[in-house]
Amino acid sequence: MTPQGTSQADVAAAGVGDAGELLDLSDESPETLYRMMSENGWGDGLPVVAPTPSRVEGMLAGYPGSVDEVLAILPPRFGSATVRTVAVNAVMAGCTPDVFPVVVAAVRALSHREFNLRGVQATTHSVAIMVAVHGDIIDQAGYNAGFGTFGPGCRANATTGRAIRLILLNIGGGRPGDGDASTQGQPAKYTYCFAENTLASPWPTYARSRGVTSASAVTVAGVEGPHNSHDMWSTRAAPIFEKIASVMTTLGSNNAPMIGSEFFVVLCPEHAAQAANDGWSRQDAQLFLYDHARLPWRVWQRHHPTRFGLGAPWLADIDDPDALMPMVSPPEHIRIMVAGGPGKHSCVIPSWGIISQSVTVPVEVW
Amino acid sequence: MSVQVMRPDGAIAEAGHTLAPARRVLTGARIGVLDNGKPNAGLLMTYVAEQLAERAGSSKPLVLRKNAAHPAPDEVLDQLRSEVDLVITGSAD
Repeated sequence: MTPQGTSQADVAAAGVGDAGELLDLSDESPETLYRMMSENGWGDGLPVVAPTPSRVEGMLAGYPGSVDEVLAILPPRFGSATVRTVAVNAVMAGCTPDVFPVVVAAVRALSHREFNLRGVQATTHSVAIMVAVHGDIIDQAGYNAGFGTFGPGCRANATTGRAIRLILLNIGGGRPGDGDASTQGQPAKYTYCFAENTLASPWPTYARSRGVTSASAVTVAGVEGPHNSHDMWSTRAAPIFEKIASVMTTLGSNNAPMIGSEFFVVLCPEHAAQAANDGWSRQDAQLFLYDHARLPWRVWQRHHPTRFGLGAPWLADIDDPDALMPMVSPPEHIRIMVAGGPGKHSCVIPSWGIISQSVTVPVEVW
Repeated sequence: MSVQVMRPDGAIAEAGHTLAPARRVLTGARIGVLDNGKPNAGLLMTYVAEQLAERAGSSKPLVLRKNAAHPAPDEVLDQLRSEVDLVITGSAD
């Protein structure tokens, strides 16, 4: 079936330098595709699905707008992420058309000024793009919000995160050592997508807490990988969240010298239920963590001189060495959501710092 | 069996930047530093700028700061454009 306005001829019609340019290959074996990727500096090192015009056409099926629409200009290469080019990368990543609306929305979100994609792509930090999926699209597209939501085994989770990375590699030019100066990188730079477990959450959805009320939404954030925080024994919320605060309180993350940035706290359903049983709202959890995730000022001073240029100006006027400084401010920057299956393991996800803010946007499903 | 595939990279949206021409004569050149706040960046670049200013016979360098992870604000660039002839910048970790 030929989608309205999107024929194979249309898909292949654009000129040199656009995704419409076709490359001739002897076959679509993994070896031939690897050779093509290597010769052009593309890919993430893993096998890809050959982005034939028919597969790209299938990915674009039903898209309600123009496939030439530029969703974003992606630094540092400043490549044009058209709907078509994004679809090429989605095919390569192994996406089904069901998840393509999430990929499109995520690319739009990455272009928001406050996300600072240019900095996220180029930094020496190990920052990766976390993609959190919210709402009806989770079931519609087969995302996993339960057991192992951050890990392997679910095509929707795995390929959505991978598509975003391929887009940033191929269109954005953020290649290790060339465009992406990340000193060590990290595994989450391959793929980093999970889904919010709305059914298990005692609070309104995360997207709604950020003012996005559409049926489906996606959040993108420049962050580290998840840091586990487990509590198997507590029958009250406070000890659970004291442990979470302890995981947040680390000198090594970018959150330390940059008060004002974000933390993501992804609670397992059982920890969230305990908080709710104690009468805590999401805001109560944020305030508790804000109050408990702190370091003495003398420790800050020793490790993070205020002249570094990224600290809040008011830090220079603190004269009590024992004053406890918050790891994050304001409390609302502790972004709390629920995901995962049974078991008492939550996680803390530090951000790259105040120089990038997460973005939550609606997902238009067609 | 032969197959055709589509490019994943897309067109480049912005034209490449060209370098400003090198200044042939240093004498009299006003020297500036755009310090991005990285550790010791200002120290190193200001030292170099002071040496250049002494050789050029010009006044003390103008040292301005920016955030390491964001482009320099317009007002900083405007001040550099109007008050200096040569800028030392660009320090990473």
